[in-house]
Amino acid sequence: MTSRPAIRFQDARVVYPNGAVGLAGIDLSIEPGEFVVVVGSSGAGKSTLLRAVNGLTPLTSGSVEVQGQVVPRKEGSELRRLRAQVGMIFQDFRITRRLSVMTNVLVGRVAHVPGWRAMFNLWPEADREVAFRALERVGMTEKAWVRAGDLSGGQQQRVGIARALAQEPAIILADEPVASLDPVTTHQIMRDLVRINQELGITTLVNLHFLDLARRYGRRIVGLRAGELVYDGSADSVTQADFRHIYGRDPDAGDLLDEDAAP
Amino acid sequence: MNDSAMRPLRPARNWALILGTLLGVTMMTVWSARGIGFSLTELACNLPGGSRLLVESWPPEFSYFPRLLAPLLETLQIAVVGTVIGGILAVPVAVLAARNLTPGVLVWFLDRNVMNVLRTLPDLFWAMLFAAAVGFGPVAGALALTVFTIAVISKLWSESLEAIDMGVPEAVRAAGGSWLAMLQFGAIPQALPHYVSYALYAFELNVRASMILGLVGAGGIGMVLETQRSTFEYPRVTLIVLSVLVIVLVIEQISEAIRRRLA
Repeated sequence: MTSRPAIRFQDARVVYPNGAVGLAGIDLSIEPGEFVVVVGSSGAGKSTLLRAVNGLTPLTSGSVEVQGQVVPRKEGSELRRLRAQVGMIFQDFRITRRLSVMTNVLVGRVAHVPGWRAMFNLWPEADREVAFRALERVGMTEKAWVRAGDLSGGQQQRVGIARALAQEPAIILADEPVASLDPVTTHQIMRDLVRINQELGITTLVNLHFLDLARRYGRRIVGLRAGELVYDGSADSVTQADFRHIYGRDPDAGDLLDEDAAP
Repeated sequence: MNDSAMRPLRPARNWALILGTLLGVTMMTVWSARGIGFSLTELACNLPGGSRLLVESWPPEFSYFPRLLAPLLETLQIAVVGTVIGGILAVPVAVLAARNLTPGVLVWFLDRNVMNVLRTLPDLFWAMLFAAAVGFGPVAGALALTVFTIAVISKLWSESLEAIDMGVPEAVRAAGGSWLAMLQFGAIPQALPHYVSYALYAFELNVRASMILGLVGAGGIGMVLETQRSTFEYPRVTLIVLSVLVIVLVIEQISEAIRRRLA
């Protein structure tokens, strides 16, 4: 391989203070521009894996590298600079409901502008332009000055995506981005993520609970079980037996978004 | 099967505890009343004296009102200055005292103790202190109310800040935001309605307090009150008390209306 990986885990371990194991020694390499779906039952370490990439959950041992740079374990300017290149999308959107959509998207620019400018809402014109383009990409331009809390769930998640895009990131982490959305909105948001990955070439790592979504939207599927990597392969070739191995049981209707479709 | 047989028996009352508490409270009250020479018979004998004071105080001397305008205005000005400066200074004090936002345990500990000292010492103490420092007059009153406002708002608001959802602040950090950006875009907007509510409450308290502060020479209507009281001009005292009552009621109505809009 000539290019350096976008993300590289080397024997990455996370043990929480209560003794729970988040990651039990993960070795994983993700190339620039890949669209990777992470699956596993709850508590398997999916969130921990994503949060290790931007240092929200520091590793206990081992290392994670983002574009060749080791993710620091301590808060500080070095970690902030690294986080600036990594956008994150959350299950519960995590936008400030009282502020306008525009302000929420501009939060994606905080690492790029001087603190005093952000403080007094004096964002440079270039950064406002970046924010507007991010909103255009998720089809939310006309909502720019609406209070974020007045939007529907799917629209709020689009604001979350626009905030991540405003960072002009090399990597996007999406932690269960559709878990609080209805099926129709779920497919729209998943299509948005795939389209952004294809159009902008942003390396994308998505945690999903539903197997049919993983197979439909993932290019590469990574399976976690009890903090260990138990599957890594193409979404086209993943089998029922693989899912059984990842989940430690037979997948049932609860693991599918469209309950009618066969797994 | 009889259901009532399954029901647990009502536990016996702890009569010893109930009677013991009653006895303890009674004994403490009798002991305290004797200590301060409080007796109901004496109170009954002296009631005519009190009623004479009320009779002498009525009707209020309305013709005195024009001379109250300037001191009343000064009272309001003292309250405004104290509330605004204190309200601004309370922001960092409250943030550093909120366990979920404070940058360090040591800062948190020191700030908590400063808050406790501010709150424990009464506003009259601060008024006397500042009167000694900057001389008798409204500036001493405004400074005393500044301290009082910091004490009130920081205590109440730090608890509101501790109750916010930490998801959005974490999202700001994930975007590479600094501690200040996390506060500005993630934490403070959530607790802003509480802040406004507490600031209005502090203003009400300050208008009331500025009547008392005059007693120790800290300016405002209280100084007029003290002069008139010491020269036995009771109808004027009544007018002063009524004027302050009206002002406080008006302010309460206005701030209640603002709070309702915020909710």
